[in-house]
Amino acid sequence: MPKILLIDDEDDILRVLSMSLRSDGYEVVTAASGKEGIEVFQDQLPQIILTDIKMPGMDGLQVLRHIKELSPDTEVIIITGHGDIDSAIEALQYGASDFINKPVKDEALSIALKRAEEKLHIRRQLKEYTTDLETMVKIATEEFERKSNFQAELIQSSNDGIVATDDESNIVIFNPGAERIFNYRRFEVRDMAARDLFPTEVADFLEKKNGCDKKNRGLSWKEIVVTSKTGEKIPVRFSATHLFENNEVMGSVAFFQDLREIKRLEKELVNSERLAAIGQTVAGLAHCIKNILHGFKGGSYLVDIGIDRDNTEKLTKGWQMIQRNIARTSDLVLDLLSYSKDREPEYESCFPNAIADDVCELLKDLANDYDIEIVKDFSPDVGERVMDPRIIYRSLLNLASNAIDACIFDENVKDRHRVIVTTTVEDGQFIRFDVTDNGAGMSDEVQSKLFTSFFSTKGAKGTGLGLLVTGKLIEEHQGTIGVSSEPGMGTTFVMRLPFSNED
Amino acid sequence: MSKKVLVVDDDPDVRLFNTTVVEENGYTPLEAENGEEALKIIQDKKPDLVILDILMPKQSGIRLYRELKTNKALAGVKVVILSGIAKRTFLRSQKALTEFGDAEVPEPEVYLEKPVDSEELADVMRKVLA
Repeated sequence: MPKILLIDDEDDILRVLSMSLRSDGYEVVTAASGKEGIEVFQDQLPQIILTDIKMPGMDGLQVLRHIKELSPDTEVIIITGHGDIDSAIEALQYGASDFINKPVKDEALSIALKRAEEKLHIRRQLKEYTTDLETMVKIATEEFERKSNFQAELIQSSNDGIVATDDESNIVIFNPGAERIFNYRRFEVRDMAARDLFPTEVADFLEKKNGCDKKNRGLSWKEIVVTSKTGEKIPVRFSATHLFENNEVMGSVAFFQDLREIKRLEKELVNSERLAAIGQTVAGLAHCIKNILHGFKGGSYLVDIGIDRDNTEKLTKGWQMIQRNIARTSDLVLDLLSYSKDREPEYESCFPNAIADDVCELLKDLANDYDIEIVKDFSPDVGERVMDPRIIYRSLLNLASNAIDACIFDENVKDRHRVIVTTTVEDGQFIRFDVTDNGAGMSDEVQSKLFTSFFSTKGAKGTGLGLLVTGKLIEEHQGTIGVSSEPGMGTTFVMRLPFSNED
Repeated sequence: MSKKVLVVDDDPDVRLFNTTVVEENGYTPLEAENGEEALKIIQDKKPDLVILDILMPKQSGIRLYRELKTNKALAGVKVVILSGIAKRTFLRSQKALTEFGDAEVPEPEVYLEKPVDSEELADVMRKVLA
């Protein structure tokens, strides 16, 4: 039961009412004036106050206003004189919960008290509900914050670069992984659009240029090159996906894996393989050099005889022998140098067909000597391209002279030995060179050794470096080379070199 | 009639050098550029000495050497190896062939590793043909 404060300057009324209320089970405190009532209120904190309106000093309305200021939740019931409607209305305006007339009738009092108690009860429940609700909201908020912190932490600590854009392609997430790759700080990209930072291909996707739906929302991983703030070209693996909210695109997220270290290690591996190959090469080289030295000795021997006897024929033959071996030495040294040294391709405008033609013309005499036909099949589409003409020339010369050697060494009887050199444009980005012969062909074992180590089937004629150098040049030009061959039937080498168009 | 010396090598420079040395020392030079051609000439012209290279396209010197050492009809032909290949490599490959079931062959009378001086080659020829 609530505690009631009863205020009245008439002692009798105080006594009667408090007795009556106590018998109803209420705890009652009393005060004989407005001023005392305030003091008792502050001391006892009753939930309901019953006050007479007419009192000397502080009257009931003043008590009411004072109490409402101190504690708006406290229920104040005003006791008015009979017919004093004006005061009653004023009391209600000041926030009194009810009024009853004097003389106080038990029935009216108990109804007023009941209403006050109900209001108190409802207010208390409301307060409990509110508190519960607040607690629940607080817990939910904390949980949400924890989860979102967890996710933010995840994004922050990811080794991959993660970049998210909103539905207007503005960058909203740019994690430290992305900072490392692109070399921009997060605050620097805040006002940038995806297009300012990414290659066209990536920006097109993020801006939904190619249309998108929920089923087909992601790009699978692929290798691309991005440009950092400092202009460095950075190889990355890239994947991206659109983010949906109720079937509407709300943004996109792109993932970037830095491949610089992997690329560096790969290159190191290739370098060390090349060094190992050079190690094997030294043994083969020794043989080659011994032959050359023998040639020099032979040449100088013939020159000596020519001088002694004044024999021009011997002198000429000796001198020619020395010259041939000088050429062999320089070929060998140049091959070895170009194989062991890194060289960046020098791209320039050139006509690949004209280069292929030069190679065929150069080999024509040799081919004629052995009755080998050289067939040129050049596509007119090839035209003028930006490539490294030296790489085309050296690679093609190596492949074509190998093809002629394959015909010379061929022991099978054939109608006519033939070397076909073909050029075509492929996929709008490669020039494809095919060199096909119907010569000796190669076993699988020989094919497997072609590009990997010092290897020659040509006895004194070969240094074993030709295809090694060709393979390396093609790799430096970002191209590919492949071979298919069958013993006795012939061989086809296919070389693909990328080009850019005249700029 | 002077003694005949067959020079077998795929390198034309080596053949020219060796045949000149043969000629200068009063013998009659013959030439072959691979093992197959050499065997034909040996059977036709019965040279007294073969100066043999090892690494050649078509039939290699290793096979021809075995043929010369195991064919009784050719037993009188003397052989000098002149090659860029080291002697122990040559012996190792002969041994490998023997282990695979071929007949055992003796080591060559003389094994010369390129490069060789004209005097050295002339000395060897005179000694072997004496």
